[in-house]
Amino acid sequence: MVSTALAYVSRPLAGLTPERRRALGLLALGLGLLVFPLVYDDDATIDSIANAMSYATLALGLNVVVGFAGLLDLGYAAFFAIGAYYYGILSSFQVMPLWSEAWAPLAFLGLVEKMNQGGPDLVHFTLSFWLALPTAALVSAAFGVCFGAPTLRLRGDYLAIVTLGFGEIVPIVARNMDGVTNGAAGLNGIQAPRLFGQSFGVDSVPYYYVGLGLVALLIFVSVRLRDSRVGRAWMAIREDETAANAMGVNPVRFKLLAFAIGAAFAGMTGVFFVAKLQTATPEMFNFNVSSMLLVMVVLGGMGSVWGVVVGAVLLQLMQTWFLPQLTGWLHDLGEAVGSPALLRIDLVQWTQLFFGLILIGMMLYRRNGLIPATRKTPPLTFAAQHAEVTRGGFLNLDRIPRWEPGEGALDIRGVSVRFGGLVALDDIDISVPAGGVVAVIGPNGSGKSTLFNVITGLVPAYSGSITFRGQELVGLPAHQVLARGVARTFQNIRLFPNLTVLENVMVGRHARLRSGAVASVLHTPGNRAEEQAAQTSVLDLIAMFGNRLAPRVGQVVSGLSYANRRRVEIARALASRPHILLLDEPTAGMNPAETLELAEQIKSLHEMGLTILIIEHKLDVVTALADTVVVLDHGVKIAEGRPEEVRRNEQVLTAYLGRAARAAVMEADRVA
Amino acid sequence: MTSADLLLQQVINGLSLGAMYSLLALGFTLVYGIAELINFAHFNVFMVGAMVAMLTLQSFGLVGQETVLTGLPLIGTLGAAFAVAMLVCGGIGVGIERLLLRPLRGVAGPAPMITTIGVSYVLFNVVLLALGSDAKNFPNPLPPIAWRIGGAVLRLREVLIWIIALALMVGLTYFVQRTRMGKAMRATAQDPEAARMMGVEVDRVVMTTFFLSSALAGACGMIFGLYYNLAKVDIGFAAGLRAFTAAVLGGIGNVPGAMLGGVVIGLIEAVSGQTVGTAWADVIIFGLLVLVLIVRPAGLMGRLAPNKS
Repeated sequence: MVSTALAYVSRPLAGLTPERRRALGLLALGLGLLVFPLVYDDDATIDSIANAMSYATLALGLNVVVGFAGLLDLGYAAFFAIGAYYYGILSSFQVMPLWSEAWAPLAFLGLVEKMNQGGPDLVHFTLSFWLALPTAALVSAAFGVCFGAPTLRLRGDYLAIVTLGFGEIVPIVARNMDGVTNGAAGLNGIQAPRLFGQSFGVDSVPYYYVGLGLVALLIFVSVRLRDSRVGRAWMAIREDETAANAMGVNPVRFKLLAFAIGAAFAGMTGVFFVAKLQTATPEMFNFNVSSMLLVMVVLGGMGSVWGVVVGAVLLQLMQTWFLPQLTGWLHDLGEAVGSPALLRIDLVQWTQLFFGLILIGMMLYRRNGLIPATRKTPPLTFAAQHAEVTRGGFLNLDRIPRWEPGEGALDIRGVSVRFGGLVALDDIDISVPAGGVVAVIGPNGSGKSTLFNVITGLVPAYSGSITFRGQELVGLPAHQVLARGVARTFQNIRLFPNLTVLENVMVGRHARLRSGAVASVLHTPGNRAEEQAAQTSVLDLIAMFGNRLAPRVGQVVSGLSYANRRRVEIARALASRPHILLLDEPTAGMNPAETLELAEQIKSLHEMGLTILIIEHKLDVVTALADTVVVLDHGVKIAEGRPEEVRRNEQVLTAYLGRAARAAVMEADRVA
Repeated sequence: MTSADLLLQQVINGLSLGAMYSLLALGFTLVYGIAELINFAHFNVFMVGAMVAMLTLQSFGLVGQETVLTGLPLIGTLGAAFAVAMLVCGGIGVGIERLLLRPLRGVAGPAPMITTIGVSYVLFNVVLLALGSDAKNFPNPLPPIAWRIGGAVLRLREVLIWIIALALMVGLTYFVQRTRMGKAMRATAQDPEAARMMGVEVDRVVMTTFFLSSALAGACGMIFGLYYNLAKVDIGFAAGLRAFTAAVLGGIGNVPGAMLGGVVIGLIEAVSGQTVGTAWADVIIFGLLVLVLIVRPAGLMGRLAPNKS
């Protein structure tokens, strides 16, 4: 019924594109919120909405950390406190050092005042609210970086407990540093903001508008970041940190960035919050605040910008309106049926219990929140799914960098890898000539994937050297190896499951793009041109696989077929414009026809100038593609040569088939 | 008191705190070792243990410190309170695992951790609503026996706490090292998939782990009450954070490490409380946690958790 009504109402809008409709809806919402205080003149309601807005901004900040980057931060309120105390101390009478002429320049700028209360001259800090907002963002971000730099290298679950501790420490420090924070009694006499000489005073309406502005700003920033190179890097880290690292994302740097941006949101909100309350006490920033924000983010949907805003509004509504109302109804009911037990219930005291229940319930039944971040893409039509498979062209793939003749190649010299006492690779020498195709074969557990891992910086080399185009790779982190032109795929497919095909492949382009957070938010011309060009060339790459991937670019990769996921992974690796491509069993799990198709595609890539190092079990693929075959067994190179030579090698036959079978094969050869 | 006596006294106090943190740290370490999950519910399962022990003792007619028991009645009441606290908490642990965490097994990301945070919140608020937020007088029927060692005082309760904690740790070590289930637990901690293929019932192992870890938290709650003569709804947080630090210090997933870490943290707390004031003890211990994680994330005795790629 509701949907019919909605359909009826929205009929005039049906002709518009979805983007237009969304823009129109936003405009209506914005206008409604703008005129609301003019038509609805109830100070308590306006005040409550202004509070909800400050929680919404906090939730938006926490969403950057938890939702985008996947870092569970349980002490987020600490950054809120830092912003709040920053403004509180610098705009009140709490800290008043002795006046000296050194303060004169600051007084000239209006940041401090000379003051005399009988006795020596003192300094009174008079930081303006409008200046405090951006600077608090910077101060909190700086704290975020200082705190995050040592801890963000840790595993995600350790981070949760460390942030929990941090969130607990900040109020303790605030409580015990009486001289600076006035301890448990809290800061008093914080200046209300002034605009055009008018103080905001205690009227809620100006705070409502400032809050609205903040929410709008932070939604804008969040959306812009989400849809940028930075946002893709965050989500890649969230989905699979190792794969993100191997595709060129520097995880520590981007986690720090998320932490700093989240902290900046909280710092700004802290300024707004204490300016509105004109006081700051340690209790305003304890664990309950951090956990309430977490509930908002979980309820709305981790990573979903509009979701967390809705989550914040719903939770605030629950606390200020729904629970008191419900308590009232229960009391009425209690009076009606004469139950003293019902009369004693005050559901407002149950708020935190409901928080806990919401967390549990959402995790059990709706993990992606009320408004999930990953929107559902319409499935392909029957016709599209059953369309005849077309091969793609390579029309625009001349973007693959070509080797200059005589350039150095991948040179592996004496590389060993050890895990504790286990020697996984022992003194391996392999060289891949420029423009060559080298295949690595060997029984399971012979160290083939370890070889790829040590080349790409995912496991450390115990000894030896790996040079690529004359540059040493040993000791470089994975993202720098990729930046030097070495891209790989994984044996067990490591895509970013909740991202779309296009987003996955775009992450591969990460290392070749430059846009940072600021450019992404501002959509500078350079940023727009870069994104546009990247998208075009990435779509070209995807078109290489014809209609297998092209119609599915908007789909989430976890829903793709196995073979298509392999193709996406290859496209993702190619998107980084590699000089050499490392393929780890690319045809595993493909049927003979698909295997043949992919082998031909790999051959074409090679003909276009790409150097290839491939691990493969299917010997016909190896024979068709490789110039040189390297055989590993128990971490040792046992043979190397042209494919047909290696097939006749005794040691190889022993490794693969055992002694008896080798004898049989040799015998058969002799007979033939 | 001379400074040597003072130090001895702090060592006595520190060992008692340490016994408590060790038991609690064992719970973190066991669950982490098997399920690779930080169980935030553990904080408040411990608190529930203290409350349940208190209610049990009160149900025997004990109030505060007035009633003193000796001999068999003493052993009987204390034993009953320990047993009830451990069983109730163990049951809560099993319930959390079976109903709330098992459906999330294999789910990537923070979902299981968020669930345990939710459970912690629910436990806290249920106790808060049922019993209030005031500090409660925890019945303590121990006779006020104490020995003087130089200027320091060693009370019967401290000796008792050491003995009980030691007995529980020895029992746990025996269980993990010598029994069939213990062997299954160690196998699961190494590699759950391989253990499953070798016929280990991983579901039962995980459930047993949650039972043991939560039962230890229950015992720890009882010990907390006996030591401080009080129980309060918000005791879980500070003790839990210290115990977690102890587990990390010893090497998370490592059973002897957790015991050692607990004692070290207890001693640090006692001594730092003496020298810089209790308000800053949290800051020092938290600082230590961060330091350990940065400098030696595997802890003092190394991590015995699964090595997944």
